[in-house]
Amino acid sequence: MEPLLNFFLIDDSAFDLFIYEKLLIKSGITNSVRTFNSARDALKHLIGQADSLPDIIILLDLQMPDMNGFEFIDEFDRLPDALRQKIRIFMLSSTIDTRDIEKAKASEHIIDLLPKPLEIPFLKKKLAI
Amino acid sequence: MSEKAITILYIDDEEHNLHSFKASFRKQYDITITSSVVEAEQLLDDKDFCIILADQRMPVMTGVQFFEKIRTKFPKPIRILITGHTDIGAAIDAINKGEVFRFIDKPWDYKYVENAISNAYDIYKTREDLKQRNVELQKANEELDKFVYSASHDLRAPLMSVLGIVNLALLEEDVKSQNEYLELIRQSVKKLDTFIINIIDYYKNARGVPVVTDISFEELVTEVQATIQYLPEYGNLKMTTDIQQDGIFNSDVMKLRIIFNNLINNAIKFQDKTKANPFVHLTVKSTDTDARIIVEDNGTGIKESDQDKIFKMFYRAGATNSGSGIGLYIVHEAIAKLGGEISVTSKIGQGSIFEINIPSINK
Repeated sequence: MEPLLNFFLIDDSAFDLFIYEKLLIKSGITNSVRTFNSARDALKHLIGQADSLPDIIILLDLQMPDMNGFEFIDEFDRLPDALRQKIRIFMLSSTIDTRDIEKAKASEHIIDLLPKPLEIPFLKKKLAI
Repeated sequence: MSEKAITILYIDDEEHNLHSFKASFRKQYDITITSSVVEAEQLLDDKDFCIILADQRMPVMTGVQFFEKIRTKFPKPIRILITGHTDIGAAIDAINKGEVFRFIDKPWDYKYVENAISNAYDIYKTREDLKQRNVELQKANEELDKFVYSASHDLRAPLMSVLGIVNLALLEEDVKSQNEYLELIRQSVKKLDTFIINIIDYYKNARGVPVVTDISFEELVTEVQATIQYLPEYGNLKMTTDIQQDGIFNSDVMKLRIIFNNLINNAIKFQDKTKANPFVHLTVKSTDTDARIIVEDNGTGIKESDQDKIFKMFYRAGATNSGSGIGLYIVHEAIAKLGGEISVTSKIGQGSIFEINIPSINK
């Protein structure tokens, strides 16, 4: 039996946080979902909890005010290795802009771009579980 | 745009030619003269000239050689060569090679020179106008690009939310929680609809033909209030108005409605729910020349670092409950089109004051 995964959701849309938190829990792959409506808050949390942070998977929205998904990745790049190694990031976005898609693919920190709405079987495949 | 004088640089080694030219044309044109090709190059560095006149026979280099030398560095001015009869072959050659626009025969005749300068300036102006249009077009295209990018996000995101909710609802066995999902769908659809209305407002404002009529602020505000008071977000907000209108104020009612609608809607949306008496107070003071509109609330307020950005297209301040970032941009555009100004003073946690001044439009 696989151990349960820890998820962080970063999205400015309250709807989407609500939907995907419920969906992840219902799917049975996790019982721990933390939600952040601002990328900056999420980053602060990661830095603040660096020592006690378990291994986590981040589902990161792209278009957000203040700090968008790619800006979050730029900041993430500056975090210490030990912290980064605990974190796997997927971008979760409704974008269909090819520049966004290319940029997400090219990023070494983004495992993949998952289209909204999130499909659990697709996520499972990407996580190889 | 004010009519600027045509700037001309004239180079000739014979001083009396320079002076007689300047004496004949100084009232019509902005003329700079020099007898040295070296100095001429320095002058070109310091000033923008529309037209350069150069004598063909000069000691250091010929007029054509001078033009060849400066052509790449200073491509903008139109080049005219002044020649005596014996140099006509060189002049024709220079024209054919594209070094000069035309040549003027010595001794020159006033009308002929005036005509040559006027033709040269037409070409200069056409080229400059074309360049200007290209710059404007490029800017418009970049804006359109940005617009399409952001608009497609704002159109698609609420739809994908709805789809996500539907997927989730299908997994749900408990029928009671379906209502909760339907409520979320309703909100999401509402958001999408608001965005579409905004886009149409934006388009009408940007491209529509303004219709100037006699404005009654009292009527306009009542009308806007009627559309918003049943909004679920309205809560227990208290809206008060103080409208004083003296004299006839002419403006575009469509744009004014957009302005009032967005500002009052924002006050509703960003009210501070922790406060006991959330309010929005609208003041209008209008004469027959100017109107001053103030929208004051005790809502959540706007961060100082955001205050100069909120009027930009698709700029979204704050993370919670934010819209698409188009409302205040449309307000700003509408006010600009009416020839007015908007300013904001705000303190986080205390509230915001938007102040607008617009002139009455003379029919």
